Amino acid sequence: MQTVTSHTSQRGVMTTSQQDTAEKAAQLLAQIAESRSRQAFSELFSHFAPKLQAYGTRQFGNEQTAMDLVQETMTNVWHKAHLFKADKGSPSTWIFTIARNIRFDLLRKNKKRKDDISADELWPILAEQNDNLDDDYALDQDILLQEISHYYGQLPDAQRIVVEKIYVEGKSQQEVSDSLGIPLGTVKSRTRLALKKLKELIVEHD
Amino acid sequence: MIKSHPSEAILYQYASGDLSASMTLVVGTHIDMCSICKQTVCEIEEELCKKHLDSIVETICAPDKGSMSKSQCDQMLEAIFNSQVKPAVQREDLISLEGRRFNLPTTLAHNAHRIGEWTHLVGKLWRAPVNLSDDGQTNLIYMEPGAQVPEHSHKGQEATLVIDGVFNDEHDAYYDGDFILLDADRKHTPRTATEDCLTLATLDAPLFFTSGISRLLNPFSSLFFR
Repeated sequence: MQTVTSHTSQRGVMTTSQQDTAEKAAQLLAQIAESRSRQAFSELFSHFAPKLQAYGTRQFGNEQTAMDLVQETMTNVWHKAHLFKADKGSPSTWIFTIARNIRFDLLRKNKKRKDDISADELWPILAEQNDNLDDDYALDQDILLQEISHYYGQLPDAQRIVVEKIYVEGKSQQEVSDSLGIPLGTVKSRTRLALKKLKELIVEHD
Repeated sequence: MIKSHPSEAILYQYASGDLSASMTLVVGTHIDMCSICKQTVCEIEEELCKKHLDSIVETICAPDKGSMSKSQCDQMLEAIFNSQVKPAVQREDLISLEGRRFNLPTTLAHNAHRIGEWTHLVGKLWRAPVNLSDDGQTNLIYMEPGAQVPEHSHKGQEATLVIDGVFNDEHDAYYDGDFILLDADRKHTPRTATEDCLTLATLDAPLFFTSGISRLLNPFSSLFFR
């Protein structure tokens, strides 16, 4: 299972080591997540698209399906970059697992089953994790929304809107960031502040 | 401590995306519960990534090089930037049955919307199908305390994962997270004692009851199966 990495320098394409490449890719993913940088994404794309295309071609033996795999995989990377966690593995392994899932779906698509299961259900690697909310600020589940709606009316508008979208409409933080056009970091800090404030209000009243 | 794990060959197929949907669900749910297999799968995924992606050294998006032209790349980038976010799969973390509530591991939680109605089988056994539109048959099986599945063998493979509780058969006792794969001719008689047990099981062919009067159940084995 040993792979030959010395090829890279022969072609003169990547002069950096695998380690540097991984760090660079992780930086690009962070830029995409934070500022939706199209330039960072384009750079990441030129590095990974040919690799994905080669993988797809070998898996499907079909150029068009291989291109579908490239496009769908990189589309997920564009939208889900914030879910990459550097401490859990390298960027290329993360991207590989996304491609593996897309391959699974593309292979099943041909069979045209109704209500077919998707790889997103079987390998929920792209699920919005709840760990971006600190446990400290998580509310007890048995507090009904009705009970707290009174309190959350007292929040500043900016915080209340974010909390409504996340807890009432069930949007992810990334979706709120996209729909309000504010940075993800701001959404997170407003959520934290709002939950902290709510907790204080509730405790005061008890 | 989980003592019964999928083989490394199965974990490799799981990480490659080569298992059936139903087996992927059962193995994936085991991995949610098992830090050892989770670690092994991470290592296998790294290895697969080296094999499939890292070893490839082509350049594209440069004129006359590689197989994607600059304009193809630009078109694809444009399409990606204009694409919509797919709605996320909704998860449900709890299921309840007979007043008992069970926490679902992540992978199963993402498939909770596929869990059908609970039906009462013979004795103290309950079954709810997990509708995966797959070739295999996947069910949640709930055994009340003191329940017994009559002795049976399988025409195909049976994979069982204990989600919560404990059950015994002639061979061993199985606890939370234990993954058991039985081949066609292995007979067994699962039963619970003082504790109840929730399992996730997938079969690729019907059960076949083997002993005494329970052979009468064979015409109805689809009850246990579908």
